[in-house]
Amino acid sequence: MGGYLLKRIVSLLPVLLVVAIVDFIIIHLTPGDPASVMLGSQATEEELAKLREQLGLTLPIYTRFFQWIIGILQGDLGWSIFMDMPVTEAIWEHLGPTLSLTILAEIIAILFAIPLGVMAANRRGSWMDQSFMTFAMLGISLPSFWIGLNLILLFAVQFNWLPAAGYQPLSSGIFNHLKYLIMPAISLGIMQGALIARMTRSSMLEVLNENYIRTAEAKGLKMWIVTYKHALRNAFIPILTVIGLSFATLVGGAVVTETVFNIPGIGKLIVNSVLRRDYEVIQGTVLMIAAAYVFINLIVDILYAYIDPRVRYDKS
Amino acid sequence: METSSVTMVGTKTATSSTKHHAKIAVNRFFANRLAVSGSILVLFISLICILAPVLTSYNPIEMNVQDRLKPPSASHWFGTDEFGRDVFTRVVYGSRISMGVGFSVVMITSIIGLIFGLYSAYYRRLDNFLMRINDGLMAFPAILLAIAILAALGPKMSNVIIALSVVYIPTVARAIRSVAITVREQTYIEAIRALGGKSWRIIWLHIAPNCLSPLIVQATFIFAYAVITEASLSFLGAGTPPPEPSWGNILNDGRTIMKQAWWMTVFPGLSIMMTVLGLNLLGDGLRDLLDPHTNKAKK
Amino acid sequence: MTLLKVKNLKTRFSTELGEVTAVDGVSFHVNAGETVGLVGESGCGKSVTSLSILRLFRKHSGTKLAGEIFFEQKELLTSSMEEMQEIRGNQISMIFQDPMSSLNPVYTVGNQISESLMLHQKLSKKEAYEKTIEMLSLVGIPSPEKRVNDYPHQLSGGMRQRVMIAMGLCCHPKLLIADEPTTALDVTIQAQILDLMKDLQEQLQMGIMLITHDLGVVAEVCDRVLVMYLGQIVEEASVETLFENPKHPYTIGLMKSIPTIDGKRGEKLHVIEGMVPSLHQIPAGCRFAPRCPFADEKCRSHPPDLIEVSHSHKARCWHHERIGIGGGNAIAIGNQ
Repeated sequence: MGGYLLKRIVSLLPVLLVVAIVDFIIIHLTPGDPASVMLGSQATEEELAKLREQLGLTLPIYTRFFQWIIGILQGDLGWSIFMDMPVTEAIWEHLGPTLSLTILAEIIAILFAIPLGVMAANRRGSWMDQSFMTFAMLGISLPSFWIGLNLILLFAVQFNWLPAAGYQPLSSGIFNHLKYLIMPAISLGIMQGALIARMTRSSMLEVLNENYIRTAEAKGLKMWIVTYKHALRNAFIPILTVIGLSFATLVGGAVVTETVFNIPGIGKLIVNSVLRRDYEVIQGTVLMIAAAYVFINLIVDILYAYIDPRVRYDKS
Repeated sequence: METSSVTMVGTKTATSSTKHHAKIAVNRFFANRLAVSGSILVLFISLICILAPVLTSYNPIEMNVQDRLKPPSASHWFGTDEFGRDVFTRVVYGSRISMGVGFSVVMITSIIGLIFGLYSAYYRRLDNFLMRINDGLMAFPAILLAIAILAALGPKMSNVIIALSVVYIPTVARAIRSVAITVREQTYIEAIRALGGKSWRIIWLHIAPNCLSPLIVQATFIFAYAVITEASLSFLGAGTPPPEPSWGNILNDGRTIMKQAWWMTVFPGLSIMMTVLGLNLLGDGLRDLLDPHTNKAKK
Repeated sequence: MTLLKVKNLKTRFSTELGEVTAVDGVSFHVNAGETVGLVGESGCGKSVTSLSILRLFRKHSGTKLAGEIFFEQKELLTSSMEEMQEIRGNQISMIFQDPMSSLNPVYTVGNQISESLMLHQKLSKKEAYEKTIEMLSLVGIPSPEKRVNDYPHQLSGGMRQRVMIAMGLCCHPKLLIADEPTTALDVTIQAQILDLMKDLQEQLQMGIMLITHDLGVVAEVCDRVLVMYLGQIVEEASVETLFENPKHPYTIGLMKSIPTIDGKRGEKLHVIEGMVPSLHQIPAGCRFAPRCPFADEKCRSHPPDLIEVSHSHKARCWHHERIGIGGGNAIAIGNQ
């Protein structure tokens, strides 16, 4: 188990390096002079020169890359020109709403998706299976921001039950917090829920055909024990993979959902920074999200080993 | 004479069995109601793209201030926007942008993804290098990577295509690689290699044809993702810039006046849903049909 | 005492090409303490017969069962799912063909055996664990107190099959259905496992239904034999009668395909001509007719019944009177 863990962690290093390089290259794709793009056409030559100096544009590109990397290793993600604060601080300020939103969305997705996917697989071909799967199909075909807009039209504009937009932190009370977050979380979670439900169903169908499921039934075990103890644990590895991937998609989706519901999270920070051309914020935030995703996958890998002993003892 | 008659019998059964299989496949496709409805939807949207100028007499861009924010009526089926433009016309022309972006992304990702996947599967050393890059690229959430690229390159339809291609090439490359690796391990490929077959011939004549079915299935799903992501980007203002109509930017226009003009939110959204649903249904159907693994699992 | 009585069992599946009848009117019985062999090529319906007894088919697989199955006094086909779960693993146990895939890879073997004990014998976790170790040592697994915590992939094929047997026997079933219990194993282990089953049968007085395609195994352990072909029983006899005086050409064909120790070197093994027809294309007359060296017009057009050819010896052949083996050398004698 220790060896497995070490191997996984070591294998992350090249991925993280690639992530940093890709992130750096993309931001430096900007054609022309970033300083003049940032300051607009009215800027004086003096101002431009000052900004170029501040951005380090006078240095050769590889020097800038190494300075950036060294900064990252020291916990420095850069400086926001627009907000006039370190990028890490800007991220820290916007982190809470995004964490609340994505976690709530993931919980909603998993809570509905797995039991429904299991039920659909157990009653394969029944009307219940068919209607669940039709809903799941619709779920993966709806853009999350459009679901959000419709929820606002329905529950905020039409019925006036929930606030149309905005955010209240957890410290203002859990009920208040959820009142603002429930619509965004549902609109964000539906697609992930649909994906997880589909994966649960197909993975369960595959496992239910296995011989050891027949063995379990031949033992006289109750149906729910066969399903949840013997089948679901075996079916869980692909489901877990989808859940791991879904965190990345949720953070991406949060960019759009936060704009729709006007939530001051990381997504809003990125969109605003794009509009303000605050490149170091984009670069730093994107890097942090990609790195977070890599670590979430590490956790998923560890869970694989917990769920399936064969992974634990794999010598290859 | 003896042997030739035996061979003939052999070929005869072989063709009749392929015919038999083809018949089963066709039957299965038409029995798969979801796949059939998916292809009908996709066909329908494609027709709308092609026939856009015939379907409407309004101009999608020209403003007409006295007609602003009219609800749906006989003359404006989907109502009008705040500049008095016909929303039906904008949605119809918007399909050209969405489908155009989707199709271009599918072509680019399929070709480049196929090349990367095949060579990665064939050459171990290259594989190590390419797959690290792949892993790195796949660590970025799709929309975020696209936004970052568009932030650097600027919002333009061609840049949207570039950004989405960069985002989805790793997905295709990885899928092709995994199929190509299993093909490469098969004995007949070993045999051809042992007989001195050239690498490019093995890759393109023996391995590549086996990757086509999964490529088609992947491409259908990539098309669906690309349509959704393009809409999201345009909705955020990072994609297709106004006044050019795209489903995403019509929704963005409608967002601020959602309370007065629900039609600007509902109709473009339904169009996105119909297109993506059609593509997803088709993708599922094709996978059932072409991918023997899932077929086996379904039995 | 009759333990199991199957009457006119029919098992139908729906497939993409239409409905097939995998088991077509099978009747037989198993007595307590008796070993009955069910023999035939793969695809003849022997495994389906055994699965039908415990009704081990998924609800939505579209499987239809007809006929009657009595276990002691109870009719199984009309029993509720709860009643079936009470019988499965407790009074009727099943050992499956493939020990590699029949054990759940994510639980220890101890967990999988004690699960049965806790369910049917109402043992506590600790008692079940101790009983499991006892069972593992009974089936001849060395250092069972260590092996009990192993996962299936850590054991060899032979060990896994022993685990399957321990699992099948732990609740002292009255009937054991063993589907090719030794096929996946090498010969020395095969013999050990068969001996083990025989020993346990004597101790527990259980009935065994042994499903196999291996006549060598049948000769070694069975009391009575049923030969199946394409969903039907074609011959039924005591093991001595069957080997001395087989009456169905298919049985004779099966026997001739066993290599013998005194067979001459270089002598070709006999194979039955042709292939088993698909269940979609069942011949109109005798099902074996297309492959039978003795088939005539009547065989091809009229299906024969399973009739008693002598005391407790049944065969399904129009020409059973003219068929048999001559001398020590297994050759069928016919008029052709």
